[in-house]
Amino acid sequence: MLWLYLHFPHLLLDHVRRSQPIENALVIVEGTGQHVLQACPLAQDAGIQPGMRLKTALGLAPELHILQADQQQQAQLLEEQARWLYHYVAHLTPAPPDGLWAEVSSLQRLYGGLAAIWQTVEQALAEHQLTAWAALGHTPLAARLLARAGKGECSADKGHITHALAQLPLTAAEFDKTDCTRLNRLGLETLGDVFALPQKELARRLSPELLATVQKIQGTRPDPRAPWQPPHRFRQRAGFIQEVEHTQGLLFALQRILAELEEDLCWRQQDTDTLLLVLQHRHQEPTRLRLRTTGPEHRAETFMKLIRLKLDQQPLSAPVVSLVLVVRRFISREAPGGQDLLGETQDLNEAWHTLISRLQARLGEQALTQLSPRPDHRPEFAWSAGEVKRAKNPGEVNPQALPRRPLWLLPGPCPLTETPVAWFSGPERISGGWWDGQRVQRDYYIAQLPGGQLAWVFRDPQNAWFVHGWFG
Amino acid sequence: MSELLTTLLQDARVWQGHRHRTTTQPAETTGFQALDNQLGGLGWPRGALSECLLDASGIGELQLVMPLMKRMTEAGKTVFWLNPPHTPYAPALAREGVGLDNLVVIHTEDTSDFLWTLENCLRSPVTGLVLAWPGKLATRDVRRLQLASEAGQNVCVLFRERQQAEQNSPAALRLELMPDAQQGLKVNVLKRRGSWSGQRCTLAMAHRADIRVQEAPRVVQGPWPGATR
Repeated sequence: MLWLYLHFPHLLLDHVRRSQPIENALVIVEGTGQHVLQACPLAQDAGIQPGMRLKTALGLAPELHILQADQQQQAQLLEEQARWLYHYVAHLTPAPPDGLWAEVSSLQRLYGGLAAIWQTVEQALAEHQLTAWAALGHTPLAARLLARAGKGECSADKGHITHALAQLPLTAAEFDKTDCTRLNRLGLETLGDVFALPQKELARRLSPELLATVQKIQGTRPDPRAPWQPPHRFRQRAGFIQEVEHTQGLLFALQRILAELEEDLCWRQQDTDTLLLVLQHRHQEPTRLRLRTTGPEHRAETFMKLIRLKLDQQPLSAPVVSLVLVVRRFISREAPGGQDLLGETQDLNEAWHTLISRLQARLGEQALTQLSPRPDHRPEFAWSAGEVKRAKNPGEVNPQALPRRPLWLLPGPCPLTETPVAWFSGPERISGGWWDGQRVQRDYYIAQLPGGQLAWVFRDPQNAWFVHGWFG
Repeated sequence: MSELLTTLLQDARVWQGHRHRTTTQPAETTGFQALDNQLGGLGWPRGALSECLLDASGIGELQLVMPLMKRMTEAGKTVFWLNPPHTPYAPALAREGVGLDNLVVIHTEDTSDFLWTLENCLRSPVTGLVLAWPGKLATRDVRRLQLASEAGQNVCVLFRERQQAEQNSPAALRLELMPDAQQGLKVNVLKRRGSWSGQRCTLAMAHRADIRVQEAPRVVQGPWPGATR
């Protein structure tokens, strides 16, 4: 077995920097806000080192941006990294808070050698604008120690790795603190010195746990790592150092997230039709925007257009501190067939969904309707307006079975104000509705008004006359 | 340069009074032989605006576009109704043989939304026919729509008020619709691209209410008090 360990020395920092371009130096401080945990290259140029007191750091760089580390956010970030790395690697185990194991010996044939895997991962890391220290080892712990020490090399040679391990100082070996002190007092400086000790004595004089760790590093004791399975949802968050007041600022961060969504959907061979965009504000309830496409969609470009339209319609109510994009609904993708039953090509189908989604995003979903007849005698209930759907099979309506009706129906009956000049057919009595309290009893006629219009008029039991439709 | 001129002349973009030549612009037949003859055998122009100017609904204006609408929905093309003044009545449309699944009704709130929607519909390849009731439109807006319709290959019919016949318009076809005797529809060609206007014809539309034309009105004695007796 061969393990690859990726150590992200400043994951949070990288993440913030790629969500928003910043000119000033940036540091991440620990929960209490006393010490600097991570410093960006700009800050390091100013002389700020991790572990430094925040006051000193502020003295060095007064313009410093400060961000507090958040355990939960770190864990989510790490999961995001695992998610994309899962595209390349089958057996993956996260090592919170800042590392990932990948089992690579089974991938050598797929990629054609260790060097190819190494290169693929490095390239992907560069694409995601992340800093990571990678190392190979024959045991998970060996890979981890080498990576954290920054001594990783692309070599599967056992002797070479053991040699590199032996060179590591004891402080880098992640032993228990008391054990470390005791080993130091024994005059041991490097891991190699510890390896050289007889194992029985090590367990007896120091502690059995220490021996277990040493054996796990060397590979003489099993150290199973459960493979990680990506959860079936997509959630990405982008935080902003400077609050975003204009839509344009959001689009920059969204572009990257949507590109990752597209990639994710591509890998899963799935589509989605609902995105949830949550904009968090400092002093307000978060704004929740639900974006719906009419059909399954996976392209970042289309989502971007819809979001842009939606944001144009709904200006920001307050400056945005961070945004979250969540996708929970996934639809498996249909294989693109040449033509379906109606002779419709995939392109037209797609164009239809694009157009309707665009219109709905700008006008609102209720602005677009599709009509259908309903079985009811009363004219105002004999039709319904529903959600727009792509027609698949033509309805089985026998046109001749339907009675003659006008093409225009008025929203409600209008009193008849002119005397008709000619009468054509009628009366047709429509009586019903006793079952739902909307009783109707009318005698319908077709009549021509002086203006030449053909009207559908009716008389109610009170002998009042109304126009209910036009024969357009 | 001369090549450009030739194209302009062939597409009948330049109006030539002395010459009456048939043009090759794409069009959809109206389904009414009499009207097609008056329109030089073409019909509704595609990739251009058509205008129907009328006083009031109910004179057979929908029947005029019905053959085309039926054809488009049968072909699986989408027909958009944009801001119709009344409710398009689904049972009647189904009876005429229009595929309701391919019919989308859109209501917009203001003019800018209306123009945007119409432009988007016109540019899409899925659209077959757009029927739009724009209300008041500035000439500038009509021009914008004409450009949008040229981008696509769709028929677009605007229904406007008859008073706007005086206003000039970049639409390729302008028809004035008036009711005629025997429930017919009088069509007056106000403008058509590439040729003289002024043709008139009357289309029989009495079938829209199942009225037989030769017959005198059947219900002679209306129930209306003091109606034509």
